[in-house]
Amino acid sequence: MQAIDHYAWTNRWRDRHPAEKLLPAISLLTLTLILPPLSIGPLVLAGTMLAMVYGAQVPLRTVLSMLAAPAMFLLAGVPFLAMSLDFTHGFSLHFSPDGWRLALDTIVRALAAVSCLSFLTLTTPLVDWVPLLRRVGIPAGIVELILLVYRLIFVFAERALTGRQAQTARLGYSRLDRSVCSLGLLAGNLFQRSLEQARRLEIGLAARGYRGELRVLTPERSLSWMRLTIAMAFVVLIGVMGGLLARGWR
Amino acid sequence: MHIAEGFLPPLHAAVWTAVSLPLVIISAHRVNRLMQDQPQIKLLLAASGAFAFVLSALKLPSVTGSCSHATGTGLGAILFGPSVMALLGTIVLLFQALLLAHGGLTTLGANVFSMAIVGPWVAYGILRGTQGLNAPLAMSVFLAAMLGDMATYTVTAGQLALAFPDPASGILGSFIKFMGVFAPTQLPLAVIEGLLTVVIVNLLRQYSQDELRDLQAFPRWLAAEAR
Repeated sequence: MQAIDHYAWTNRWRDRHPAEKLLPAISLLTLTLILPPLSIGPLVLAGTMLAMVYGAQVPLRTVLSMLAAPAMFLLAGVPFLAMSLDFTHGFSLHFSPDGWRLALDTIVRALAAVSCLSFLTLTTPLVDWVPLLRRVGIPAGIVELILLVYRLIFVFAERALTGRQAQTARLGYSRLDRSVCSLGLLAGNLFQRSLEQARRLEIGLAARGYRGELRVLTPERSLSWMRLTIAMAFVVLIGVMGGLLARGWR
Repeated sequence: MHIAEGFLPPLHAAVWTAVSLPLVIISAHRVNRLMQDQPQIKLLLAASGAFAFVLSALKLPSVTGSCSHATGTGLGAILFGPSVMALLGTIVLLFQALLLAHGGLTTLGANVFSMAIVGPWVAYGILRGTQGLNAPLAMSVFLAAMLGDMATYTVTAGQLALAFPDPASGILGSFIKFMGVFAPTQLPLAVIEGLLTVVIVNLLRQYSQDELRDLQAFPRWLAAEAR
């Protein structure tokens, strides 16, 4: 989590207008979903990896660890796509050829989609999304709620880590029953402190004339039409190549 | 367990988004009105959302050795009620997708449906039901959190089964397959999360009477209980 946020704030493309990153990423994500995964997937994966590592200069290791995040889910789910359960002759479980294809398709599609998402999150800090959320029509109050959650996540994460270290040092996680108890205490304590923090924030803000709106300056970023056009040209190129490959597959 | 980004076929992703969206919008309207009436609730909700995120990022002690996380669904439903959880859960799921790469944007709708809508409603219903039967509070909190978790996993398995029907035995066979994966891994987790929620609620009732009274806007029963 810290790594993602760190690179979101420090990568080379951080100061670019968010639309320059959002539009290509969303278009690639859409392409990944609608075209046959085996033809478009590898292209999207290669394109976004290049953009992240060479364009935004995010270390390859961070990018790979992002791609590995859904690995657990894929490992648990995909083997079962390849297998088929048959009731007709009693009860049998066997591998089916169609299933393998489906499993492969799904893995490639998921990996390509995750790479699009990673591109977005590793290059754009969450705060940059805020004007966009407002434009989509989300009420100002809700947008502010989102911003507050974002800020508090990091405050609480640090606390949770400290608390956990303290508990571990006192052998709080040496057995399963103790672990459950320790974790419960940690979570409960964290919640108490969260409420306390909320109350302190509320008093502090009320003292400064808070009426339900925090006004912050959003940095003005100029949208470079040229960069956006180049990025979209790449997306179109990937889409066309993927489409042609897909036709070749059939 | 979050459905990973891009795992669902496009049609399914779109349909689940369409199902979840109106419910989340209704919840957003409610929360927005609540926040306009009482601005301090905004900070309370923000703190709780951040708390749910951090809780979900803490690794649970797991029996099978797989890495697993609490969902906090049950606790949220117990403390805030399910109508607020739809929005709060959506925000938390969004952050999980963006900051942890758990879940994703295209599967957000499906994950919101299982974790922020069905799970909390089931947990809340069980809590109300067992409280109506005068069950001890610890028992109904345990059942609510555990069964809320199980409901979430059952819905997730159902979503996956609908998206990937088995070639031989169809959706039913596929559902059995996915439940077969989830049951051994997630059942112990649901029990652990149930126990965890009891520990948390007990701690709060012991030491945080004032804060619980603040939450009164949401579940009246907890405040009444904690007199």
